[in-house]
Amino acid sequence: MILLQSPSRFLLQILQDRVLSGEKGIDIDCHTVEFDDVRYHIQFSMRNPKVMVLSVALPLPPPEAILYDGLPLGAIEAIKAAYGPVVQILDPPKDGFDLTMKINLTKLPLDEEQRNAILTQIASIREVVLGAPLKLLLKHLASKAVAPNVDKLVALVHRPNESFFLAPQADKVTIVYPMRFQDSIDIVLATSFLQEFVEARRTAALNNVPSCMWSPAPPLELKGVSADALNANAGFVTFVVYPRHVEGKKLDRTVWNLLTFHAYVSYHVKCSEGFMHTRMRRRVESLIQALDQAKSDAEKLKKLVHGGSFKRLSLKNEVDSRF
Amino acid sequence: MDALSRPAVVIDNGTGYTKMGFAGNVEPCFITPTVVAVNDSFSSSGQPAARGAPARGNWLAQHSAGVMADLDFYIGEEALARSRASTSHSLSYPIRNGQVENWDTMERFWQQCIFNYLRCDPEDHYFLLTESPLTAPETREYTGEIMFETFNVPGLYIAVQPVLALAAGYTTTKCEMTGVVVDVGDGATHIVPVADGYVIGSSIRSIPITGKDVTQFVHQLLKERGENIPPEESFDVARRIKEMYCYTSSDIVKEFNKHDREPSKYVKHWTGIKPKTGAKYTCDIGYERFLGPEIFFNPEIYNNDFTTPLQVVIDKCIQSSPIDTRRALYKNIVLSGGSTMFKDFHRRLQRDLKKIVDARVRASNSRLISGDTKAQPIEVNVVSHPIQRYAVWFGGSVLASTAEFYEACHTKAEYEEYGASICRSNPVFKGMY
Ligand SMILES: Nc1ncnc2c1ncn2[C@@H]1O[C@H](COP(=O)(O)OP(=O)(O)OP(=O)(O)O)[C@@H](O)[C@H]1O
Ligand SMILES: [Mg+2]
Repeated sequence: MILLQSPSRFLLQILQDRVLSGEKGIDIDCHTVEFDDVRYHIQFSMRNPKVMVLSVALPLPPPEAILYDGLPLGAIEAIKAAYGPVVQILDPPKDGFDLTMKINLTKLPLDEEQRNAILTQIASIREVVLGAPLKLLLKHLASKAVAPNVDKLVALVHRPNESFFLAPQADKVTIVYPMRFQDSIDIVLATSFLQEFVEARRTAALNNVPSCMWSPAPPLELKGVSADALNANAGFVTFVVYPRHVEGKKLDRTVWNLLTFHAYVSYHVKCSEGFMHTRMRRRVESLIQALDQAKSDAEKLKKLVHGGSFKRLSLKNEVDSRF
Repeated sequence: MDALSRPAVVIDNGTGYTKMGFAGNVEPCFITPTVVAVNDSFSSSGQPAARGAPARGNWLAQHSAGVMADLDFYIGEEALARSRASTSHSLSYPIRNGQVENWDTMERFWQQCIFNYLRCDPEDHYFLLTESPLTAPETREYTGEIMFETFNVPGLYIAVQPVLALAAGYTTTKCEMTGVVVDVGDGATHIVPVADGYVIGSSIRSIPITGKDVTQFVHQLLKERGENIPPEESFDVARRIKEMYCYTSSDIVKEFNKHDREPSKYVKHWTGIKPKTGAKYTCDIGYERFLGPEIFFNPEIYNNDFTTPLQVVIDKCIQSSPIDTRRALYKNIVLSGGSTMFKDFHRRLQRDLKKIVDARVRASNSRLISGDTKAQPIEVNVVSHPIQRYAVWFGGSVLASTAEFYEACHTKAEYEEYGASICRSNPVFKGMY
């Protein structure tokens, strides 16, 4: 429920509508923005109703993260591997974007299941591109090796101007997130959520998930990282991922979850706030009910005494108009 | 990048459908039913625990069951599918007749819209929400509280739906922010005169005939004729039949004749699958095609309690507005809402309204003594545009992409300094005209 899905619902909907809509098509030109400033520009033209031009802008990279032609390590290869002949990368990308692709819907497989699988992959472009380096490193972990030519500590783009860090080893990869929040209440809630999160990991039922730690200060792995990259206000979360967490089908899921860890926590914090409001509202309602009950009893009494001769302020009416 | 340079999020929550998307786009990203499926298998969670103390030892178990139930919910089409498939979830419609009725489910609905549909971080975007012209200022405060406290939005503007619908016309035809908006949605029908972007509050008219009533009427006609539709989905089928096949006729007597003369041309068929047995069924669609929308123009065929036709209500509305605005109002009558989508709806409305207006002008001219100047004929114009279905959203999208919008918004800082009461008023801003 509270997990974010990898494919963008909107992209998937547009693609599926277009595949099903037959030959006729209308012009579409729209912009959307997802969390962490991933932006999409979607274009269909009437002349070519089965070709979508999709441009993607990535979060502003922090200085410590290294990009290759503006894209994360291995992104181009990942796109080619995921989409094959359906997608063609346009170089250079549209102004203001990091990647522009031409998606030819006539080249989709005819089999419905396969077709939907590719469409879902296209809608997951964010994971394919931003997750490419992570996937590369974790794939090596699955075969118990370290990717060649990789530093001891790798910074990957997590959010605009924020990175998370990976220390790859042959038998495990340590991943560290400096956690930052804007709102003061969020900082408090997030910090306590993260501590609970680590606590929950310790309970017996969850022994198979990556081990996880929270600390207010940067862990040792981050030695030597610039102070700017380490100014976290909700502490540091460390996961240790072992080969068994990334074998086979688990890999994609793990990549996506690691990639969107901040969004996950932030979503959770917002839900908790909503949840508390719901509770508060119920509490107020039940108090008011109790008060009303008491008041109407009292009023009955007063009526007997005063014959209802003076106007009383009705708490109930006041509150009713509010709810 | 900061919130000012990202597009604002525009959400128009209607009784029937919620339209949501980003400012600057022509279409909303999603049009989804405003409904939440909540898990009520934990009966304790819905009730405030005031009455009689719950069994003591049970408290924790009950509490965590309540917590789980609070997380287990769906919205939109998924909610409908979920409630059809199992009995563990029940549907809650947070908005009734254009007003929020259930803030708990409304908050959850927004949460899903933001995180799972638009997939944006609410802290990153200014928000434009809409409300019906009859919404109380307290409601606006409540909306503000949820938006600023739960979602931490940096800025919020709550716009009046018909004003936005008028702004939608602005880009398609060259009009001013003066006109009458006829907004016929699913659960509310409002006729709202607007002058220079300000709603003329005292002249707003509401009528109790809405899209839901058209569905109801079509449903009733199908049932009376004994059409073979499984009862568990008959209302939904009636709605879909309405949306696909209903149209506005110019004269019902003639229309009856047409149907009788050439049934093969006018009678349509509906094929469905019974949800329980999976068997196919078909039914005919006949007179309800034009009788459905007719209830706006001749309400007595549907309802004995309310018999004033739409065109008469619009005329009364304009007649009760300040005299210097009336001509401009007649000239720019803008349609908005899904239930104005019936074919030829605007033609019929324009014709019927013009009849009333012309009759009045003639009557006043006949009372003149020779030598007096005759009254000028009054131009009546019912404006229809292709984006009528989501005109409110589109108007919001246009307005929220102007620089003035960001200045008109209430910001989180203001909210923190002055409290929720700032949300009571939302200034009309330039760019609206
Ligand atoms: N093509 C169509 N023809 C006729 N009716 C339609 C069509 N499309 C949608 N509707 C009807 O329009 C209604 C929904 O309109 P809309 O989305 O404007 O309402 P809303 O904003 O949800 O409700 P409200 O404004 O009353 O709160 C529904 O009753 C739906 O059945
Ligand atoms: Mg509406």
